[in-house]
This record gives sequence, structure tokens and C-alpha cells, in this order.
Amino acid sequence: MDAKDQKKHRKKNSGPKAEKKKKRHLQDLQLGDEEDARKRNPKAFAVQSAVRMARSFHSEFFFFFFKHTNRTQDLKTKKHHIPVVDRTPLEPPPIVVVVMGPPKVGKSTLIQCLIRNFTRQKLTEIRGPVTIVSGKKRRLTIIECDCDINMMIDLAKVADLVLMLIDASFGFEMETFEFLNICQVHGFPKIMGVLTHLDSFKHNKQLKKTKKRLKHRFWTEVYPGAKLFYLSGMVHGEYQNQEIHNLGRFITVMKFRPLTWQTSHPYILADRMEDLTNPEDIRTNTKCDRKVSLYGYLRGAHLKNKSQVHIPGVGDFAVSDVSFLPDPCALPEQQKKRCLNEKEKLVYAPLSGVGGVLYDKDAVYVDLGGSHGFQESEEVRPTHELVQSLISTHATIDAKMASSRVTLFSDSKPLGSEDIDNQGQWMPKEEKQVDLKTGRVRRKAIFGDEEEEDESGDSDDEDDEEMSEGDRLENNSSDDETEEGQDARVTDKQYTSGKGIKRQKLEMEEDFEVDLPAFADSDDDLERSSVEEEAEEADESSEEEDSTAEEERDILESKAIREGGKPELLHTDDSSDSLNVEKSLTRKKATFTTSDSGHCTAEEAFASEDEPEENSSLSTEEEDSENEEAIRKKFPKPSQVVSCQKLGSENLIDETSDIEDLLKEEDYKEENNYSTDTSGALKWKEDLSRKAAEAFLRQQQTTPNLRKLIYGTVTEDNEEEDGDNGEELGGLFRVSQPASECKHKADSLDCSRFHVEAPHDWDLEEVMNSIRDCFVTGKWEEDKDAAKILAEDEELYGDFEDLETGAMHKGKPGPDTQIEDVEEEVKEEIDPSAEESAKEKLLDKKRKLKEMFDAEYDEGESTYFDDLKGEMQKQAQLNRAEFEDQDDEARVQYEGFRPGMYVRIEIENVPCEFVVNFDPHYPIILGGLGNSEGNVGYVQMRLKKHRWYKKILKSRDPIIFSVGWRRFQTIPLYYIEDHNGRQRLLKYTPQHMHCGATFWGPITPQGTGFLAIQSVSGNMPDFRIAATGVVLDLDKSIKIVKKLKLTGFPYKIFKNTSFIKGMFNSALEVAKFEGAVIRTVSGIRGQIKKALRAPEGAFRATFEDKLLMSDIVFMRTWYPVSVPAFYNPVTSLLKPVGEKDTWSGMRTTGQLRLAHGIKLKANKDSLYKPIVRQKKHFNSLHIPKALQKALPFKSKPKTQAKAGKTPKDRVRPAVIREPQERKILALLDALSTVHSEKMKKAKEQRHLHNKEHFKMKQKEEEEKLKRQKDLRKKLYRIQGQKERRNQKSSLKGPEEQLK
Amino acid sequence: MATQAHCLSYSGCNFLRQRLVLSTLSGRPVKIRKIRARDDNPGLRGTTLYYQPGLLYGGSMEHDCSVLRSIGYYLESLLCLAPFMKHPLRIVLRGVTNDQVDPSVDVLKATALPLLKQFGIDGESFELKVVRRGMPPGGGGEVFFSCPVRKVLKPIQLIDPGKIKRIRGTAYSVRVSPQMANRIVDSARSILNKFIPDIYIYTDHMKGINSGKSPGFGLSLVAETTNGTFLSAELASNPQGQGAAMLPEDLGRNCARLLLEEIYRGGCVDSTNQSLALLLMTLGQQDVSKVLLGPLSPYTIEFLRHLKSFFQIMFKIETKPCGEELKGGDKVLMTCVGVGFSNLSKTLK
Repeated sequence: MDAKDQKKHRKKNSGPKAEKKKKRHLQDLQLGDEEDARKRNPKAFAVQSAVRMARSFHSEFFFFFFKHTNRTQDLKTKKHHIPVVDRTPLEPPPIVVVVMGPPKVGKSTLIQCLIRNFTRQKLTEIRGPVTIVSGKKRRLTIIECDCDINMMIDLAKVADLVLMLIDASFGFEMETFEFLNICQVHGFPKIMGVLTHLDSFKHNKQLKKTKKRLKHRFWTEVYPGAKLFYLSGMVHGEYQNQEIHNLGRFITVMKFRPLTWQTSHPYILADRMEDLTNPEDIRTNTKCDRKVSLYGYLRGAHLKNKSQVHIPGVGDFAVSDVSFLPDPCALPEQQKKRCLNEKEKLVYAPLSGVGGVLYDKDAVYVDLGGSHGFQESEEVRPTHELVQSLISTHATIDAKMASSRVTLFSDSKPLGSEDIDNQGQWMPKEEKQVDLKTGRVRRKAIFGDEEEEDESGDSDDEDDEEMSEGDRLENNSSDDETEEGQDARVTDKQYTSGKGIKRQKLEMEEDFEVDLPAFADSDDDLERSSVEEEAEEADESSEEEDSTAEEERDILESKAIREGGKPELLHTDDSSDSLNVEKSLTRKKATFTTSDSGHCTAEEAFASEDEPEENSSLSTEEEDSENEEAIRKKFPKPSQVVSCQKLGSENLIDETSDIEDLLKEEDYKEENNYSTDTSGALKWKEDLSRKAAEAFLRQQQTTPNLRKLIYGTVTEDNEEEDGDNGEELGGLFRVSQPASECKHKADSLDCSRFHVEAPHDWDLEEVMNSIRDCFVTGKWEEDKDAAKILAEDEELYGDFEDLETGAMHKGKPGPDTQIEDVEEEVKEEIDPSAEESAKEKLLDKKRKLKEMFDAEYDEGESTYFDDLKGEMQKQAQLNRAEFEDQDDEARVQYEGFRPGMYVRIEIENVPCEFVVNFDPHYPIILGGLGNSEGNVGYVQMRLKKHRWYKKILKSRDPIIFSVGWRRFQTIPLYYIEDHNGRQRLLKYTPQHMHCGATFWGPITPQGTGFLAIQSVSGNMPDFRIAATGVVLDLDKSIKIVKKLKLTGFPYKIFKNTSFIKGMFNSALEVAKFEGAVIRTVSGIRGQIKKALRAPEGAFRATFEDKLLMSDIVFMRTWYPVSVPAFYNPVTSLLKPVGEKDTWSGMRTTGQLRLAHGIKLKANKDSLYKPIVRQKKHFNSLHIPKALQKALPFKSKPKTQAKAGKTPKDRVRPAVIREPQERKILALLDALSTVHSEKMKKAKEQRHLHNKEHFKMKQKEEEEKLKRQKDLRKKLYRIQGQKERRNQKSSLKGPEEQLK
Repeated sequence: MATQAHCLSYSGCNFLRQRLVLSTLSGRPVKIRKIRARDDNPGLRGTTLYYQPGLLYGGSMEHDCSVLRSIGYYLESLLCLAPFMKHPLRIVLRGVTNDQVDPSVDVLKATALPLLKQFGIDGESFELKVVRRGMPPGGGGEVFFSCPVRKVLKPIQLIDPGKIKRIRGTAYSVRVSPQMANRIVDSARSILNKFIPDIYIYTDHMKGINSGKSPGFGLSLVAETTNGTFLSAELASNPQGQGAAMLPEDLGRNCARLLLEEIYRGGCVDSTNQSLALLLMTLGQQDVSKVLLGPLSPYTIEFLRHLKSFFQIMFKIETKPCGEELKGGDKVLMTCVGVGFSNLSKTLK
């Protein structure tokens, strides 16, 4: 009222206020501001130093020109990773924390401390993974890793975070480095070092030094700046609380980079294992293959049912069944609190016997804590008592129904069926079980009324209602009320999901058994489920009173079943199957009472989508029976198995309304038509019935029908499996299927064209109109109509102000022009409703303007990298949003089991050793395999011997590879690629170079890292990792060659032609090598020409020079080698407990030789012999006479030198002395000897004398020097004293000086 | 011992190509029994086939196709396999280029190639060229197809087909009067002009050796939308000596009507290429792909079943009833999460 009376505000167009406003506006736009120094004095801001400019300016435009920018740019781009689509689910699986370290370093203590830190619980013995809730959005799975290299390899593949414990008092151990190298190969998880045993250092300086040294070594291995945590000292056998708290905090806030292998493969770190094998089978054959179920959080990628998995240490298996279970260690519900309360701090470690409640597909195991101790006095029953009794029973179901009794409470009076009728309360039965291994007492909840399993669907929800109530009742008795209540609720969920699975199975069987369009009865399911939903809604509105009313109807129905229905439920053939059925019977079908259909089956989900269907199907049972009848009319042959529900529903026909009948008739026809027209569509040439085609199209009109049509019908792959057991009647007769139509379809023409069965008459106007809008000339949608867009643009761009001139340009005054004024004053005057819309429009406009602005300015800025990132983000968003609104059952079918789910995986044909030798300390990993990753083929890789490995590797020596999920032994061949692309075999790996390796083994995608070790057993003294590398190629046709030298010998030599023999064996071989290059050892090159007839294999060859008979001729050729097809998975998990690290596969030739003491037979030529040098005998030089003549005198052989003989006349006669003379000569001789001796002695004496004299002289000299020195010393002292005195006197004054 | 991926078993000769293609891509062996088991002349050397797939090698090849089926029959499978070879495929196919049964080379060129481009299979070497035209029963046509290899495929979101902005086509005639093509064009235009003026139909008259061994004529039409969707229709004359002679005017009109039918069916992918699109969606990364299709052809439905058994993949199928605007028949929105397929044949350098 007031607003209307007020005067409209007028903007000031002149005056100081208006001026000010205008100025401010311009300033905001950073335009027209004359005060701006940059504008006023542009020269002052000009570029003066290019380098400084470059330093400050990081535009990529400049980085070509300036070095510095280049560097920063380089650094910047180095940080970029190729963007990947973020596929982490909304509720991620727990983070795998691997605690690794050498023995006695404090791993278990650390884990215990961490668990205590997060959960306030103390675990005494830790076996296998422990899952804990560490924060509002994070859970951790902590697992300990010993020094067994098998375990190290397996855990490195699944780790998200590695806590690497290092004994600081000892330093790094080899295992630490080995583990680091393993991690590096299989994608690098986050690694955090933890130093322990720091209290053993006495001196602080020593401690500091050690810390620094270890830190730097750690950094070189991981990355500079990697986090290293110090745990100083223990208090009461535990680490200090504050330090553990800090460590826990670090772990909780840590961010992780996605690893390629992990994100592209589903995997499970199993935290629980159950043996599902039929006990009878084990009894008859203790070594029979087992059927096990493994439980764990799914990680990595989506897991599809029936896919292949590899269990490292065991082998490859096909998943026989997957189901998801409620999360045993769930994150807390969303709340605004900062920290968790005590109840939300869950811990789950079934292998260690912690976790409270264990859920199975069809049972719940409750582990009773100390507070439940009073119940332990109850008697203990055998494990499978109920199941056993069910198997052995011979009574029919209705008989059993009548006599069945249910115990509500352990000490209450058992209730019969009549009691139930009265009360309408069904409860789970509790059974005490003692776990044989741990001795724990478990409470198994079993539901008494199995007979109602196949009951009509609409009883389920009520049952459930009561069930949950019952549970709650029961829980009231227990101490921990709320927690248990939650558990019970989860249990219900569980049952629902279980039921869904069973339901599908039943459907399948029906499909085979009843020979009619298979989706007919599945459609019924749909409708039934839709009614279920309706019932649910009803439940919601009304309370228990309503449900009891419905309950009565239920019971009526169930009675009807008892009357009409034959107990033909157990139509399975083998005992294990029947056991299954029994099990499933123990379950009570239940639907969650809350309105969200989060846990209904897939069919239900689809039913909810199908609205028209839902509307029409008010009472489904009737419809069901109608269909059933109609079918029977059409096919007089009795269907072999009639499910109880159908018979039961038959009794309620009277309730049907006529309209519904009609509807059903139509439905049925439609479905029946399908079988004719899918085939009809293919034999289009013969049969062009318009009706069929229309029916076909109509078929596709509703979603569930289409889905049923495609997936719900008999699929061929099931046919082969179920074909045998499905149709057996009474175990004697087989029903042959009249599948002529199917056969016809199977053999018809293979053509992808989709022929028009019923062409429209395109001359008619309305037919033409039906597609007119498919063309650009037709009508456009609201938001795309050109005229509309133009109008909007007008609105947007219509009025603008020219900022340079400051003038305003007004657009056409539209209906909402007055709002366009941005100023607030205007808004106040508009009435509230108009204001709302105006605001909206304004916001809209602003948004559009911003978009335009962004588009204009960001385009220049955004790089290819940014675009790519944006694209990935968009895809990630879509991935998350697409199936978000669907319940898990349906989601699982489309996208597979998503990471983060707690799943139960059934695997058959597992070797019995896996179960018998089960050791919870060893991790069980189920690694999902991609397409054709389960196949075996030739794999090429780039390999490098590890620089720390002491030996080199030999071709054809068996070696253990760790590639992908697997560890296996194989025989590789090493090769190197020559320049011409030839792959030449190497006998040994090169020392510091990469080489190629090829082996026969599992196909693994290219780019996968691998490592090789020579043995996984025992402790090797040195570094164990022998080689690392990457998979390059998967080529079956790789050709590795080795050098082959063929030798031959000439046997006839002409000028340049020789005949060579001994190189080949036949003329044919020669013919193959015609023209080949040959060579002699001395280097004469030649060519093979043609084979000769005479010795077989000889040939004619020409050379560049004449050969000698002693020459050896050889030819270099290449001989292809084949890769040995040997692939032997390391089955370390199958070894007995305590011997799991003793697996040894095929031995190398060297090891075998050593073991058997076989010496290598050496080539005799290679043996060393003493070198005996023969005396070389040279012939004398003979110069021909003619040459001698021509030689100069100098070089002429001198003849006189040779003249040894003196002529007789020249020979002097020998002197023969007289005895006298001889005596004289002897005397003289003696005298001269004496003299010379004398002289010698004298000389010696003199020499001695001289020596002594010299010594004396030296002594004297020394003494003299000493004397002089002393003298000089004395002299100097006196001199010094004198000088000092002088100085003193000089200080005293001149008078004294004068004195 | 590694367990080989267990073998799938089928019976009957139908959908042979699907089974072989999927078997090759998934690496699972396949066994097909009872191939025309009741026929007197089954056409094979036996009635059972076991196929153990290996890796795709690619490279340059030549192949003489049987004249009983057109080259399109072979090309359809090749289009599925070509992006996943070790070496880029360059193949020359000889045989019948256009017939009445299979999608012709022209249609595949106009529709399948743009579809593959949506998945990131693109490049200079990506082409399909009709070198010679050959009509049944003689054949004598020649087609050159080359395709680059990819390690991974991009996911697609084809939800809005857009509106048809132009219609193109090829009217061909071999070993008949070149006037035939013109007559076809005129008659086809007479119908299509009522909807859109932007129509251009090429007349392709091949002579001499390029005209193959048998006379014939035909028309293929392609409608292109603003969002890059291609819808096609085609008709060919009866093979020489089989059936009554066809008037080119009738052929043109009928073909135009077929195109209108195809437009009525609509969707972002042509009805012949539905299975190709679904396959490539399946083979994508683990991301959501969406595509809007017209009514599913029986071939596609069977293909979906095969996809489920080979790749354990199920599509989310939502029907989109035609809205208030007049835009043809009901559509089906197919959504799936890729299996995270990667080309195992490609060499890492």
C-alpha cells in the first residue's frame, strides 16, 4: 500500500552526486580514468628490461623469447599430468594401508596402536586385513606385510599407502629397497617412511645425524621431500599416543593419485573366506575341488558378474556368482558434526575375529561381545543342523508348514503355524554356533517359515514389516539397543537382495520349462512387483493395523497354496542345488518398509519406471493366473513345473475385474506375437504382414518390455548350461522343445538392414506432418527457435552503453525493460511478485552475460590442457549422475558392481589346498582380468637387469615374473634389435642396457610394468629383484633369430673360382642360397654361384681373389629360434601354513647340474694346455750368384769372413813347455795370486780406515757446530738483553739515553 | 595353468559375423553348431565351426569377396575390427558394391564413417573409396578402405539428433543408359522437395572397366542433421535375370519413401549402424555413453544379447515417446558403461 503511494525515484542526471556516481562507475570499469598513472604517463611504464619483464610475465606468448619464462613454463608444464576421468565412486572403498618392514621392526605394534587410536579398541592378535572407520569420509584397511617376497609383491599391487617401517638403530634393510622397487614397477603408491627404535640412541647428535642420513637416502629412493615419520621410543610397549595420533591424522587427510593398473581393474582384498563345498563331497573325497566364497570391498573398477579373476598365488578362476552385501564397516551417515562418536568408530576384521556382525547372503552371524556373556550358557548346536534336517526330511512342505515351530526367544515356548496365524508375527530363529577355529560363539539367525518362500509377492512386505519389528523386539532385550537395531535393519536389506537373486534364478528356469514367449511370466513378475510397491506405499501411510489386515489376506493365500499347490518346489537335481534351495528357503522375503525402493529387485525397479503398466495392473495375481490360463489354452501341453505362486493365485480369480481381463488379453497377445515377428522380421521377404510389424513396434514401446525382449528371453549361452537339467521330468523323460521358430531364426539370413515392414503412405498429409519437424524447415523447440533466440539476443544486446563516449543506447522497450536498470532503487518500487520474476530474469541475464564474457575471454586463456581437463570432469560428472537415482540391484546389472561395495564372490573349483592350508596372515587378492587378459600368448617386453642384482640373466633360464596381478614362472628369451630391425638372440642380458625379452605367458596390456625374480623361496643373501621393465607388445609372430655360421672348404681352385664342399648337404640347399655372400677367414669375399653335381652339397663360388687350399670359407646366416611355451603360475598360497615362502618351480639347468653333480662336458679344444714353444729353425739366406755380382761391395756377402780354415803354412805350431818352464810359470802364477790377494786386503783396510776417519771428522764437525750454536745463543741473549735495556732506557727519557 | 576364457556355444548360421567379431574382440573362443544342419547342401564343409581368436594384425591386404553377398556385408565386420588392429588397415575389397540385401558401400561411407569419427577414430588415412562399381550377379566392383588404429575409444553422448539440414545422395548406373540416373534423381526429388529444398543427388555413371560386370542402377540417399547425424536409405535395381525389370522412377520414389521412413524412425544413428554404435560404446573406457536410437532392429536386438554374453554388458534402455512436436516415431535411449577395452594388438614404442 505504502509502496504504491510513494513517488517513483528519479535518477539524478546532473549535479555533484550524479557526477560522482558516473565517475565511480567508470572507475569500476577501469576505463576513462585520467588519474591512472599508467594511462597518464605510459612511457614510464614501458618495458625497460626484457629479462625482468620475462621474469614477471609468465605468458606462454613470451616464453619463446625469454629464457627465464621458458624455464618457469617448463617447470609448470612438468607438473601437468595427462588428465584422466576421475572414476572414484561417491562412497569410496577403504584405503589400503600396507604396513611393511623387516621383522622385529614394530609393524604389529604400530597397527595395534593405529587401531586403538582410531577405534579405542585393542586388538590382541591381528590376522589379515583390518578395516576401520578413520573419519567422516575415510575408512582404512590396514594389513601387515612380512618379508616374504610373494606377499610383498601382492600387497604392493593393491596398496594405496605404504607405511614403510625402518629400524633406525639398524638402518635400511634389503627388504625395504626391494619393496620400494616392487612398488615402482607396479605403479607407485603413496609411501611414507616410519622410523622406529629411535630410543636406542643415547646421544642426541648421533640421533640427529642418523635421522638426516636415513631421510636423504629415503628421499633418493622415493622422491625428494617424501614424508618420513619418527616414532621416538615406546611407553609401556606402545608408541607414544601423540605421535600415533599425528600419524593417523596424516593418513586420514592424505590425497592419492590414481594408479593406472588399479583404476582399470577391479580387485578385492578379501577379508573373509568361507568354504561352501558340500560336506558330503569332502567326506567322500577330501581332496575334491572346493567351492569358496570370498568377501571384501571392491576396489578399482567395476566388476562384472561371471568375469574372470586371478588370485595371486592360486590361479585363474571364473567368478560363479557375485552379490553385494550391506557394508559391515559403513561410513557414518551424513552429519554436521566435526568428529565421530564412539559408535561410529567401527572396526571390522573377520579374520582376526573382530567385527561384531557378519552378514552372509542368507544368514547373519552375530559375534557376541563380553556384554552378552549371560547367553553363553545356552546349549551349543551343530553348525548345519537346520540345513541337514532340511535335506534329510521326507515330509511335504504343507505338512511341514503345519508342524513347523518357531522359537522367538531362546527360552520361550515354540510357536506353531496356528500361533502365527493368530499373531501375525514371524521372527528369525536364533542358533548358537561355535566357530571351530576361534572358539567364538555365534548367533545365527535363521528364519523358520521357509515354506513361504515362493509365496506371492505382496505378502513379502508385510512379512518384512513384522520381521523388522520382531528384530527390534529382540534387540530390546539386548544391551546395545540402537546398534543392534541398525544391524537388524541391515539384515532385512540383505534378505531382500538375496531374494531378488533367487527370483531371477527361478525365472530363468521357468523360461526354459514353459515353452511360450518367455517374457510372459517375467512380465507378471514385473506387475507383481509393482503391486508390491503399491503395497509399500500403503504401508507407509497406514501403520501396523493396516498391515495386519493385509496379513490376514496373506495367510488366506498361503492356505490356498497349501490346498492347491503341489510341493514341487524342489525340482533341482543335485544335492548341492537342493541345499541351495533349502538355504534360500530359510530366508524370508522381505522388503524394506521405508518408501525408498533402494533395495527392491531389478524387476521391481523397472516396474516402477513403467507407469502405464503399473496403472493397469491393479491386482497382479489375477493377471498372472489369467496369462497362465491363456497360455494353457494355446499350448495344450502341460507345463512341467508349476510354481506355487501361480497356483495360489488361481484361487483368487474371482476378484478380477473385466477391464483388467481385457488388458491382460491384450498384453498376452502382444507378447505372444513377439516370437512370431522377431523371426518374421527376418524372413521379411516371404511374410510382410503389417499387423506383425505393428505389433513388433508396439512391443518396443514400453521400457520393461523392451528390456525383457532383449535380455529377458532365452539367451543361447544359458541354453547350453540349463538345457539338460531344466526339462527333465521325474528324472526319466525329457521334454523335447518344439523350437522350430527358433531354429528357423538361427539359420536365416545374416543381414543388418532393418526393413520397413509396414511402410507409411507418405502421400497423406498427416503422415507427412508426422516428420515435418525433423527438418530444419519445420518447427523448432522453444529454446532453439531462431526467432526466440533472436529476441533474446535483442534483450541481451539491445541496450548497451558506449563506454568510450559514455552515451547510452537503448534497445526496444520490451515488456520488461524497466527491470533492466541495475540500480537498486528501481527494484524497491515493484510489487513483490513482479519483483521475484524480475529478480529471476535479472539473474538469468547476468548469468548469460557472464557466460558470454567467459566464452569471450576464457577462450584465449584456456589451453588444450584446460579443455581436456574440463572434458574429463564433465564425463566424470555424467558417470556419477547417470545411475545415481537407481537402486543398487539395477545399477549392478548395468554398470557391474561398483567400487566401494562390499561384495561376496563365489568361486568354484578351487584347489582344496587353498582351504586346507588357509593362512589368514597371507593376503588373498582377487584381481579382475580384462577382456582376453585371461588368455595366454607371446609377450614382448623391454627388460633391464636390475643394477643391484649381482648376476646376469641367461636366455632359457626359467625365471619368475610379476606382471599384472600374476606371479608366474616362464622361460624368456632375451634379444636385442639390430639396426636393420633384426631381433637377435642374446645368450645373456647386457649389463647396463635395456634389451628385449619375449616369453609365453598371460596376455597383459601394453605399458604394464613387470619385475623378475629368480626364486621366491627362502632367503637369498642379496638383492632379489633381478630385472624390471615394461610390456611392449603382444605379437605372436615375433621372429627372434640367432647367428649361424656355415663353413666349407675348397677342394678345387681355379683362378678366382673355387669349388667348395662341406657347407651344404644337398643341391637343394645350395639352390636356396644361390647368390649368398660368403667369405674366407682371411677376408676374401665371394658369392655362391651354382650347385655342383659331384660331391652332394658342393657348389661353385667366385671370389675376389684366388683362394688357397688351406682357406676356410664361411657364410653368416640367421636361424629363427622358437620361444618355449612354458607358463607356470606361482602357487605359493597352496603351500602348507608356515611353508608358504618355499615355493619352487622349474629349476635352471645350472641348478639341476649342481644338484645332481653333473659336470659340464667341456670341449677338449677349450681346455688349457701348457704352451710349448717349438724352436724356430730359420734357413740360411741364399743370394743367387747373379745378384751377388750386382750388389754393391757393402752388401756383397763377404767371402773372407767365411774363410775359417787357415792354410797349413799359416797355422802356428802349438807351444809345448818344458817341465822347468812349466814350474816357473806355475810359481809366477802363484806369486801373482798372492800379490793380488794382498793388494785386495790392503784396499779393504784402507777403505775401513777411511770410513772411520770420515766418522771422526763428522763428529768433530758436529761438536764444532754445537759449540758455535751455544756460543751464538749466548751472544744473542746478551745482545737481546742489551737491546731491551736500551729500549727501556729510551722510554725513560733522553737523559738516561745520553748516559 | 591359466584357464582359457571358456568357450561360448551357439547354433545356427545366423549372426555369424556378430559372433566372430565379438569373439575376436573379447578374446573368447566360440563354437557354432548346427549350421544349416537340416539342409541338404549346408554350404560348408561341415556344420560345426570352432573359432579361437588371436590378435588382429592389419596392414595392407586385398580380398576377393564372394559375389553372393555384397562388399557391405564384409565391410560391416571390418568397421568393427579395423580400429583395433596392430597396424593400420589398408584393404582392397573386390566384389559386389551394391545389392538389394546388404547395406551398400555408399551408405556405409556416408553413415558409418562419420559415426566412427564420433568415437575418435579419425585421421587422414581414414577413408572408404569406391574405385569400381559392381552389381550382382557379376560383381567386379572394387573398394578401398583404410582405417587408423586406436588404443582407446572416446565415450559418446549422442542424445539430440538435431534437425535435418540437407539431403544428399548418389544415383548410380552401370552398363545401362546414363539417363537412368537422371530419371531416378528427378523422381526422388519430387517427393523429398516437399520437406526440404537443400537436396543434391549426384549422378554417378561409371564406364568401361569401372562399371563392373553386370548392368544395374540404384540410389542411395543420406539425410544430414544439424548435429552431424546421418540417416540413410537405398534401393538397387533387381539383378540381371532375376525379377522383373524396375522403372527408375519407381525406384527413386520408393527410395525417397524409405528415407522418410528412416527419418520417421529417427535417432542419432542410422538403423543399419545401430549395432556398430552399440559395439563401440561397449568398447569404450569405463565411462557412460549414451545414444538415442530409433526402434531397434532385430539384428541389433540379437547383437545386444550377444554383447551381454561376450562382455557381460547390459544397456539401460529407456523409451522416449514422441513428444508434442511432430518428430516421427518413438525413440530408444541406450545407455551403457564401457568395459574399459583397450587395443591389445597395438605396439607400444
